[in-house]
Amino acid sequence: MEPIKVGVISCSGEDCLGGTISRLAARKILERIRYGESVTICLPLFIAGGEEERGFAEAYPTITVDGCGKYCAKRATEKLSGKVTDVVQVADIIGKETAERTALSSRNLTPEHREMADKVAEEIRIKFDRIVEGNFKK
Amino acid sequence: MSNKVKVIPCSGIGKVHGLLAREMALKIVNEICPEVSQTECLAYIVTGDQDIRDRIQSGKCITIDGCPKMCAAKSVAQAGGIIAQEFRIVDTLKEYRGAKPGNATALNEEGWKIVDETAEKIAANVKDIYGEE
Repeated sequence: MEPIKVGVISCSGEDCLGGTISRLAARKILERIRYGESVTICLPLFIAGGEEERGFAEAYPTITVDGCGKYCAKRATEKLSGKVTDVVQVADIIGKETAERTALSSRNLTPEHREMADKVAEEIRIKFDRIVEGNFKK
Repeated sequence: MSNKVKVIPCSGIGKVHGLLAREMALKIVNEICPEVSQTECLAYIVTGDQDIRDRIQSGKCITIDGCPKMCAAKSVAQAGGIIAQEFRIVDTLKEYRGAKPGNATALNEEGWKIVDETAEKIAANVKDIYGEE
């Protein structure tokens, strides 16, 4: 059976803590938890890139990771690339009020923030494995 | 609408360049000159929603891009924003030849030095642009 790679696209929002956590959690999946099995793309490359970049969500089953209820990563991906397979929303996991705090520099992250990122990464992992186990392939 | 200068980084997720851009922007808007600058989520700009288009068009923008794809600059331009200056991390790194600033997840001491020094330079431009308004 051909192994499939799963796309993980974070909003990486600059205006709230949820964006910071989304980026950290996505990086954790990419470089540690599902290293070699996951792929990503910078969300604005759907505008700045070419056909290959815009074909991302058609080429890979994709999980978007959004920091807040605006669902920018999901909506932008579906508008410019293709339908996403699953969605993780940070505010659902760490709470809306916390997610809407000011975005943090990674220099100012506390153990509490890293724990939040771990929880979000675990939620991504569960959805990731569900896609792989279901042998979902576009 | 605020006429603060909007500092928009790419926050690219694949390389250290994106993290450098992100950290510079956060340092400028949260620490160096929060009274004259602010940021907006680039992902929100990419959605093309009217609300963010209105906000991005309400003042001048500085974009900070990690790589030559220029995602932040192109996205802000597509949203109708006025870009007063475009910064490229690849150009900044020429001033730090041989530097190894960390990776896309975390910066090291060298990376933070680049962030701190470059953010001060960009912030000076932010203040000039705000003063012109």
